[in-house]
Amino acid sequence: MPELEFINVRKSYESPTGDRLTALDNFTLKVDGGRFVTVVGPSGCGKTTLLRMAGGLIPWDSGGEIRLDGDVLEGPSPKMSMVFQGIGLMPWKTIGENVALGVQMQVHRAKLTAEEDQLVHATLAMVGLKGFERYYPYQLSGGMQQRVGLARALVRQPEILLMDEPFGALDAQTRTVLQDELLTLWGRVKTTVLFITHDLDEAIYLSDIVVIMGRRPGRIKEVLDVNLPQPRYTYDARAEKEFARLRSIAWQSLREEL
Amino acid sequence: MTQSSIPLARERRNGVRSAFAGVGRNYYLMGILSGIAFLAVWQGVSMNVPPIILPTPASVMTALIQLTASGELVKATIQTIWPFAIGLVVAFVVGTVFGLLLGIFRPAARVLDPYIFVFWSIPDIAWLPLFIAWLGVGNLTLVVFVFMSAVFPQLLTVEAGAKEADSFLVEVARSLGGTKHEILRAVVLPSALPYIIAGLRIAVGRALVGIIVGQLLIVATGIGYMFQFYGETLSLAKYFAPLIVVAALAIALNRGVNWAERVFIPWKLRAFT
Repeated sequence: MPELEFINVRKSYESPTGDRLTALDNFTLKVDGGRFVTVVGPSGCGKTTLLRMAGGLIPWDSGGEIRLDGDVLEGPSPKMSMVFQGIGLMPWKTIGENVALGVQMQVHRAKLTAEEDQLVHATLAMVGLKGFERYYPYQLSGGMQQRVGLARALVRQPEILLMDEPFGALDAQTRTVLQDELLTLWGRVKTTVLFITHDLDEAIYLSDIVVIMGRRPGRIKEVLDVNLPQPRYTYDARAEKEFARLRSIAWQSLREEL
Repeated sequence: MTQSSIPLARERRNGVRSAFAGVGRNYYLMGILSGIAFLAVWQGVSMNVPPIILPTPASVMTALIQLTASGELVKATIQTIWPFAIGLVVAFVVGTVFGLLLGIFRPAARVLDPYIFVFWSIPDIAWLPLFIAWLGVGNLTLVVFVFMSAVFPQLLTVEAGAKEADSFLVEVARSLGGTKHEILRAVVLPSALPYIIAGLRIAVGRALVGIIVGQLLIVATGIGYMFQFYGETLSLAKYFAPLIVVAALAIALNRGVNWAERVFIPWKLRAFT
């Protein structure tokens, strides 16, 4: 199983006044293969910066390292897929074309094979959007659009799934439904997940490991193991004593940072 | 469903509005009514002024039929359409291609933008004497003049569009592993498409002005020359015939652009229908 490793990662920006602003400092974390790891923290703690670095979209400061399967990461990797809060579907492409784009840019070929084409349809069916291939994104609700975002990521059969507050813009009901669907999908495809959120309940409900971050500069404050059996949608995990205990510890830790 | 229920609710509250509610939705009826109103006002005014100021609708219609039957109007229209179409098509292609290139290769744009701005700021009409000196008085001059009138709005609009590509969508494409070329095809070009159509809409209008002005002032052919001739001889009934042709041409071209918009940018949500 592939793993993602952050070794002493640091990211600083130059502020308009000329001094360096450290967004993230001394970040060391090993995301073991097949695990669901969530990073939770207040806004401005550098968690999105962290994910964009992990996705190979922005560089980190020299000295640190991000390793994927032991190799230093150099730009976006075909082994990874990202899911964004803003979703980022191409408005001019149909749902089918948007999902196909995930494969096209992975294999660098515009024409998909029959097999790949089949995979596009199967993945859409997997996220519950069978038959929506020819719709345009604007014809779908926010929740359905994020399902497409998920399909575009999963169609690449990624070893690592990077998710940046994917359900942050959705209403509470839709979010709950999609959390369960994500756990179901994760049970089926078994990839490694690095998930970013500011929602503590979401973090505990979804993950094996919750990483709590402090802010300014962003750094790891606490790492919690969530020992609630998976899959959690099969029982009322949120009502468990263990859930309440973890939530209380995490909240104590997090509120000092607000 | 909700789209139609919202105005209905408003109409119920507003008694004045509800009287016109049916008309608002029936475009054909609305068109016919406004046409009749326009003709009525025209008839009313023309009956009270000398025909040399404003001819009656009936005399204009007679002149239109006469000029069509004699072949003069048809010949003039063809003489107008050819240089117009060639100039517009070349301007559209050149404006779109260079607009995209300048929008994508920013260093080139930084060098060329000042020149484009200077050419664009000079009133088109100021080029005419130069074109006559270079190219003489003929169709080539007309084509070049139409081209000059239409190319800059096309180029500048498309350049703005190619620069406007959503940086978030570009990042999404990068995260998928897209190469520069793939990102260009999947993100930058499609997001410039609405601007290409918007540029065309402006270019069509400017090209139409260009061809009429060119024929009216210099080359003395086609519709533009009809304006000049019947205007100077004060044959106003005949003067209005080419005017109707130009109006019909403008409407047809605008419909064409609307059609292109629907076909090429089907993802655009129309806020007002």
